[in-house]
Amino acid sequence: MALSVRERADTFGTLRYVSVFAMETLARWVPTTPDLEAKVVFGRHIWDFAQHADGLGKRTHELRAALHYTLPPLPSYQAALDTLRASEATGDRVAMFYQAFLPDHEARYRRFLESTDPFLDEPSVRVVERNLADLPRMIADAAALRAERPDIGAGTAAASALARQLAAADAYVQHRSPAANVTESLA
Amino acid sequence: MNRAAPTSTKTVRGVTLHGEPARETCFKVVSTDAEMAEWPDFSEQSRRERLHRHMNNECSAMEIAAQAVADFTDAPWDLRMAIARQAADESRHVAILHRRLKEFGGTKGEFPVSNYEWCVTGMIDNLPGRLAIENRTFEAGLIDILGQLKTTWRAAGDDRTADALEAILADEITHVRFANRWIRRLTEQQPGVLLLVAQAIRFLRAVNTALMPQVGETNTVGFTFTAEKQQAPAVDVDGRLEAGFTEEEVLEVLKQAGFRSILPAHVR
Repeated sequence: MALSVRERADTFGTLRYVSVFAMETLARWVPTTPDLEAKVVFGRHIWDFAQHADGLGKRTHELRAALHYTLPPLPSYQAALDTLRASEATGDRVAMFYQAFLPDHEARYRRFLESTDPFLDEPSVRVVERNLADLPRMIADAAALRAERPDIGAGTAAASALARQLAAADAYVQHRSPAANVTESLA
Repeated sequence: MNRAAPTSTKTVRGVTLHGEPARETCFKVVSTDAEMAEWPDFSEQSRRERLHRHMNNECSAMEIAAQAVADFTDAPWDLRMAIARQAADESRHVAILHRRLKEFGGTKGEFPVSNYEWCVTGMIDNLPGRLAIENRTFEAGLIDILGQLKTTWRAAGDDRTADALEAILADEITHVRFANRWIRRLTEQQPGVLLLVAQAIRFLRAVNTALMPQVGETNTVGFTFTAEKQQAPAVDVDGRLEAGFTEEEVLEVLKQAGFRSILPAHVR
């Protein structure tokens, strides 16, 4: 059965939370990462995630939730996001973000596309397709950074550990109880 | 729209400033103009130093915008979007200048760098104050400087660098414009915002007074600071008007820049 309007709003609200979280994580890393080329890649992608969050947040209003409705995810997925944000070495940050988090994020978008009716929910599909189109470019930017700066460290172990943590947090949308309030931004 | 005090600080000539952002070990980070290696001529070495200095300043601007995205999570969403865009623009500027530096045979870390803008702006704990200092003051000053520099580089036969500076100038005008609009909007909604802006500007003036090189002081490559060097660059009137400054504000900048004598008597 296709997702209800409320379920779609909750999924978009959660994807918006994740996009804002990604934007803020990259923003925190820009001044705290020493490597110039990595700073530049993080800085460029802050704007990409801001645009993703914006599109998702406008759609939530059309799905009868608040404008820029933002819903924190289930605790296990939040814990994985916190692991990502806590990384410190440049190589770990790059690997965890672009080799673990982004592929998982892409998979969650694709799962949404599989679970919604593309005709009934066409505006949501368009938002997701636009966001998805940016992800390969961002991953390619990180690959180019690695080629230019192989000395920043591979971060393979950290990325693998995060990928496992994300995979274990398969369910991530915390659907609202009928009386739940909606929030407009992350606290 | 307030956040906690800075986690690290440094003291320069009696003024407390924010601690440095992360830099690679190849960079020698300094705190004053006298410690920089700035040449007054336009030699190959001077050109590389100009590009290197500008690249690091854009890096500071990127870091300031990024930090604002991270710090002020309760700011209006459209304002956060504008700042996120600014971070991406500044990031592109760093990459453009780094590429040009390498084309000149230069390398990052070749000259000392100062993160002055970051160290000043980071001391301000509210978003209107930071916008007033970074966008409305530093970036507006950059409009004037770039308006002049693109002509200088072009006159020296370097169209490639001049084109890059012209593209950067267009972005900086956008950054100043959104800050002007938002400061006005926030002030209309909450008049107390004006006090935050005034406090931030007062702090900036105090820092400038303490850190400005004295006439006769010499930098690390033997260049002596003169009264002429201390003068503000020519004001880019069109650029500033495009950036949302009112005519009165531009006139005030012209007066401060020493153009009082050429202004019509009724506005002097």
